[in-house]
Amino acid sequence: MNRLLILFLLPLTLCAKLSVAVSYPYIGALTKSIGGENINTVILAKGNWDPHFVVPRPSLISKVRNADALIMNGAQLEIGWLTALLRRAANPKTNVNSENFLNLSHHIKLINKPISVDRAGGDIHPDGNPHFHLDPKNVLILAKTIEEFLISIDNQNADAYKKNYEKFSASWKVKMQEWKEKMADKKGMRVIQFHNNLAYFNKAYGLENIGTIEPLPGIPPSSRHIIKTIKLIKDKKPYCILHDVYHSTKTAEFIRDKTGIKIVLMPHDINALDNIDDLTSLFDYLVGAMQ
Amino acid sequence: MKKILITSTLCTTIVFGGVDVLPVEKRTFVQSKYIPDISLVMDTSYVSRDMSDDKVSEFEIPGVAEALLGSHTHDGVAHTPYNASNGFNLNYAELVLSSSVDPFFTVDGVFHFSESNTEIEELYFTSTVLGYGTRLKGGKFNSNFGYINEQHHHSWDFADMPLVYEAFLGMHGLNEMGLQLQWIAPTDTYLMAGVEVLQGENSQMFGKDKIGDYTTQADAPALFVGYLKTSFDIKDTTVLAGLSYARGSSRIDHTDDDEAHALSAMSSIYGADLLIKHYFDSYSFVSWQSEVLNRTMQGTYYDVDSSGSMTDSSALSKDQTGLYSQVIYGVNKSWRAGVRYDTIFQNDVTKSGTNVDNGNNFDKYSAMIEYHTSEFARFRLQYNHNHSLCDENGDRQSFNTIMLQANLSIGAHAAHSF
Repeated sequence: MNRLLILFLLPLTLCAKLSVAVSYPYIGALTKSIGGENINTVILAKGNWDPHFVVPRPSLISKVRNADALIMNGAQLEIGWLTALLRRAANPKTNVNSENFLNLSHHIKLINKPISVDRAGGDIHPDGNPHFHLDPKNVLILAKTIEEFLISIDNQNADAYKKNYEKFSASWKVKMQEWKEKMADKKGMRVIQFHNNLAYFNKAYGLENIGTIEPLPGIPPSSRHIIKTIKLIKDKKPYCILHDVYHSTKTAEFIRDKTGIKIVLMPHDINALDNIDDLTSLFDYLVGAMQ
Repeated sequence: MKKILITSTLCTTIVFGGVDVLPVEKRTFVQSKYIPDISLVMDTSYVSRDMSDDKVSEFEIPGVAEALLGSHTHDGVAHTPYNASNGFNLNYAELVLSSSVDPFFTVDGVFHFSESNTEIEELYFTSTVLGYGTRLKGGKFNSNFGYINEQHHHSWDFADMPLVYEAFLGMHGLNEMGLQLQWIAPTDTYLMAGVEVLQGENSQMFGKDKIGDYTTQADAPALFVGYLKTSFDIKDTTVLAGLSYARGSSRIDHTDDDEAHALSAMSSIYGADLLIKHYFDSYSFVSWQSEVLNRTMQGTYYDVDSSGSMTDSSALSKDQTGLYSQVIYGVNKSWRAGVRYDTIFQNDVTKSGTNVDNGNNFDKYSAMIEYHTSEFARFRLQYNHNHSLCDENGDRQSFNTIMLQANLSIGAHAAHSF
């Protein structure tokens, strides 16, 4: 009976690719680049919506339930939605301490770690700013981390993953040089944001964020804070407002009308805007928008 | 003796004095990293009802439920429903503790504090390594029957429970000791099946304990629940639908009431739920949520005198159906508004083979508007027009309620399911 079962299941396991669920599209793109044809990537969140507020739709429970591994951003970005899915999916392979579970934030040096953690300071991330993939140097580290992870869970395709990583890193380094050159004269440029989700991009290219339209992380703009921001813009003359795609630009437009400052829409992930289909086009767009 | 005292004081000073200096990580046997997630939810409200509290607490839905808005006593403990009194109400403090136990289990505890008592609302372990989409839960928990039954009060869209749940199952819903096994199918479309074996201690509908010398003790566990749920997305619209069934023994003890009686029966409850939620963006949505519940109870009704002895008994059968349907519009992160319609529209009761006309179409209308200062604080203004209750003479009553509810939470609270 057992032998029959094995005979029946063997072809299934032979042709089945490893299915890796990932929280955000950028992780999906990296996993596809490194995993190539050996990995089936399943992306949970949509790229054009707020990464903090992903709706834990039941269809995502099935995706986690059927996954062989899970890669997440971490640093509390998924705290409001992924835990509910993991609990419901009851998949031992995607348990937090499983070998098939990867928390990318553990492999990156986080910035903006708050000195005191208290919700009076808004919806802060105790471990630091989680939007680290917007520094192209970090993308390289993440690619390497994913390569090692895929090798650890699927050693028989190790050579393919190594080769794919080499290919990715070579072309990424070329692009990094190109972006560096394009951004060279932007060093020291002052910017305002809605939410500090471009902290790593700004750091990479020496842009200085002098304020946010939201008074505190996750707290909607108040009239008092808007007046303060208008005054700040008039005093410090920042170059532009870097605005994410998921918050309403109404407040930013009001500030623009009062100060004449430019609003630049900055996608945070793949699919955040049309035509942004991969990581290269994401950074091409971000760098291009600053020109 | 003195020496010992001095030495121990000295030791304590050394030990605790050292605590100030040594950082947490370096304390040899420190276990503070293992503190479970702790959160506290508070719920308080201001109620203005155009009918006095003592009058309202006598009202009932004839043949369905008694004293819905008044406090009730079971096992010697008084339970006051939420928002029961005109003026201020401190509804509850809910303390939630949860953590992994080991690689194989998690434990969650939900403790409900009211001004006068504490209840273990939920306390259960959940398996984490069974695999094959299966999960086992044991202890005391909210049954996954229907849609709203499993949710805690603070995640409801209205300050009060849907009428059909409150009338059929009481203010706690199906909240029972037992075991739950759930399985998620290995398909792309979400499909979940679950079964529960429960003790059956619902004061409104299920029970197993012998009453007087005229009923029998039912076998424990006395309640069995099964359900099937499915969900799919059409672009940014999610549809979640479920069918649920519960069957168990009923031993309803109302021998202390003015009209003393008891009921011994077999009861079933069928539920169908549907939620359609469309998201416009990350923060804005519109949802339509409805549940229909039908219950049948078949057994014997006992009239009881003041000394507790049975005076008469008659065959009783009930077939009752009700529903609620609500629409919620989430304007943005801060504002939400919604309306709800509640009704119990079928109330067929037969006693000794003759129909008892208790009336039907017990209706209630609600509307609410909510303001969230953050994800952790919500302030809700709710209006209810209640046309579902009758006074002790069986005359239908109508009254209006305005509630201002504050619900705030602190600490580490787990993310809510869809």
